[in-house]
Amino acid sequence: MNTIVPAIGFGIVTASILAVAGVGFTLQFGVTNILNLAYGDIMTAAAFVAYLVTSAGLSVWLALVAGAAFGSVFSVLLNRCIYTPFVRRGTRLFGMIIVTIAVSLIVQNGLLAIFGANFFSLKMPRPTSVHIAGMAFTTVQLAIIAIAAVAMLLIHLLLRYTKLGKAMRATAADPDLARNCGIATDRVIDLAWAISGALCGLAGVILVMNVTAFTDTTGAQFLIPIVAVAVLGGIGQPYGAMLGALVIGITTEVAAAVFSPQYKDVVAFVILVIVLLARPQGILSEVATRKEVAA
Amino acid sequence: MRLAVTALAAALALLSVAACSSSGGSSSQGGDSSPASTLAVGEFNPFTGPDAAFGPEMVAGCIPAIRLINAGGGVLGHQMRCVQEDTRGDPADAVPAAQKMMATETSLVGVLGPSSDEALATAPLLNTGHVPMFGDTGQAAFDHTTDAYFWRITPADDVKGYAMALWAHKAGYTRAAAVFGNDAGAQSNVPTLVHAFTQLGGTVVYNKPFALDQSSYRSEVESILAAHPQVIFTEVDPQTGATFLSELQQLHGLMPVIGTDVTLQAPWLKAVTGSIGAGSMAKYYEGMQPYAPPSGPAWQTYNKALLASASQVPKPSQWSTDPYSMTDYDAVNVMALAMLAAKSTSPAVFNKDIMTVTAPGSGKTVVTSFAAGKAALAAGKQIQYVGAGGPIVFDQWHNSTGAFEAVKDVNGNPVLVGSVSAAQIAAISR
Repeated sequence: MNTIVPAIGFGIVTASILAVAGVGFTLQFGVTNILNLAYGDIMTAAAFVAYLVTSAGLSVWLALVAGAAFGSVFSVLLNRCIYTPFVRRGTRLFGMIIVTIAVSLIVQNGLLAIFGANFFSLKMPRPTSVHIAGMAFTTVQLAIIAIAAVAMLLIHLLLRYTKLGKAMRATAADPDLARNCGIATDRVIDLAWAISGALCGLAGVILVMNVTAFTDTTGAQFLIPIVAVAVLGGIGQPYGAMLGALVIGITTEVAAAVFSPQYKDVVAFVILVIVLLARPQGILSEVATRKEVAA
Repeated sequence: MRLAVTALAAALALLSVAACSSSGGSSSQGGDSSPASTLAVGEFNPFTGPDAAFGPEMVAGCIPAIRLINAGGGVLGHQMRCVQEDTRGDPADAVPAAQKMMATETSLVGVLGPSSDEALATAPLLNTGHVPMFGDTGQAAFDHTTDAYFWRITPADDVKGYAMALWAHKAGYTRAAAVFGNDAGAQSNVPTLVHAFTQLGGTVVYNKPFALDQSSYRSEVESILAAHPQVIFTEVDPQTGATFLSELQQLHGLMPVIGTDVTLQAPWLKAVTGSIGAGSMAKYYEGMQPYAPPSGPAWQTYNKALLASASQVPKPSQWSTDPYSMTDYDAVNVMALAMLAAKSTSPAVFNKDIMTVTAPGSGKTVVTSFAAGKAALAAGKQIQYVGAGGPIVFDQWHNSTGAFEAVKDVNGNPVLVGSVSAAQIAAISR
């Protein structure tokens, strides 16, 4: 019990990073139908942008903005210049996955060529410890939780209460029907890439704020839990990804505290498999579908 | 469909280009202009892939040795050269690489390597092919090998465990946490570490393998702190080390850390120093590595030749104190001297003389360079080669385990703190 309460606290930090990354990933897939396996590498690229910003003596907050902006612009350009031409020529889901793997390799090797095979750290003030309800956090971790909470709130407001959000949901549900109803789906898809790319960049920066040292493969190593979060929540379901992030984040930390650190991923994926056996479409997909029908 | 195939082909082409561009293949270096007349020494290690750092370390040992051997008139009328063979750190690539090397290098007299990445798959091949190999693998599987052509002058991984336990005991620690990655290489240190530390009166209060490259190790930190260790033994990859130690620092404050030689490599030091700060690094961290003091006539000869090899070894000074580069240099010298002692360049003939030219013995002339050894052998004397990495004393399984040194990292510079002798290790390992 002594170790479980702190582990839940640590799990919330991990869940915060996973939520930002997972919501971006699942939003991208939901609206564009592209399983972008270069997502982790774009996170890394954004982290390097943040590194350059902090190395120039600028604040880590500015680095967060720069990382998110980079992720947004890069993702839009990536879609416009590489993914869309393939989609327009009829490349199917599997073919697109191969294309995204190629992009992943290109981005990763590009970073390697530019920055070299080395480890980097963001230059930021040393954090201090804060104890809340038996859980220990650092100021950086509290900042990560706050950033994630704000980002999730903004995504919620966007999806629920704006025309763009409704258009994105309509495009995700049936792009042809959405287009016939007068929705400018190309513009919506561009904006979906921009928003999910911003979340991707933001996730890259908060990830390296947390792990403290990163290299050209750091984001790619984080891709598997991101995909797990998206699948657990119901692929294409932002709210499901938020819930999936909490489940995976807290489970892995509690497993490390209670069992053995080497099984933390195993326990999380056992839960993933059990949930998918019971609900193959993920935790929230049916709930979301019912709400869509009711709306 | 046509486009999907095009996309697949494009992706495969990209993968192939990436693979080909990172492939070392074999290229000769350090030899004369007529490879047919030269004897080849294979640098059989990863030059690409996750352990790409191993290859250049080996080159920094082979090139200076060849330079001096060739300058000293070569071996039995032959010049020598180093041949790179990239194993990519993967048995699937290493096995065909070994076969290709043995098939195409007809004047191959021995190899440096294999490393832990590919040794289990390739050592039997090289042994069957009668190719003497100086493995830099640390795997305990070779502690009692019967492969006649396998030689090891770097310590086995499990020996590091003894050295770490002895060093911690010397510092007065009685409660320790073992923080090792869940990979086979890191875990191979643990049994001997726990055994030796317990035998010395200590207790390992935490010993759980770590999953590598996680975004957080806070729960692990809490569990470790609950066990109240005085010192942490570790071997994890750079990113894991940086995340774990920075979280320990944030949540509790650091405590003394004793790492293996893996943690003394530049990527690990850079990652962890960036996370916990240079001051904390100098105060709390020590790494154990094979004792190869940068002093003495053998090291001076090695270092002079190394620094003169800048055209073939980029930034040669970075390898001046690297124990693996030193032992690779020694391995080439030992093979060359064994050929002279056997009066043959045939590996099947001179392999047994590797033991002859290194074993201590009364009446033997101690030599610290190829030139001195060649002169002594020409004068009809028996020799004991003592290399840049120190004396080489092979046991019946062709393993030579030397002493270990504890090193601190002070502002990026290695500072010797103390050492554990080969005799102490031998005593605890019985």
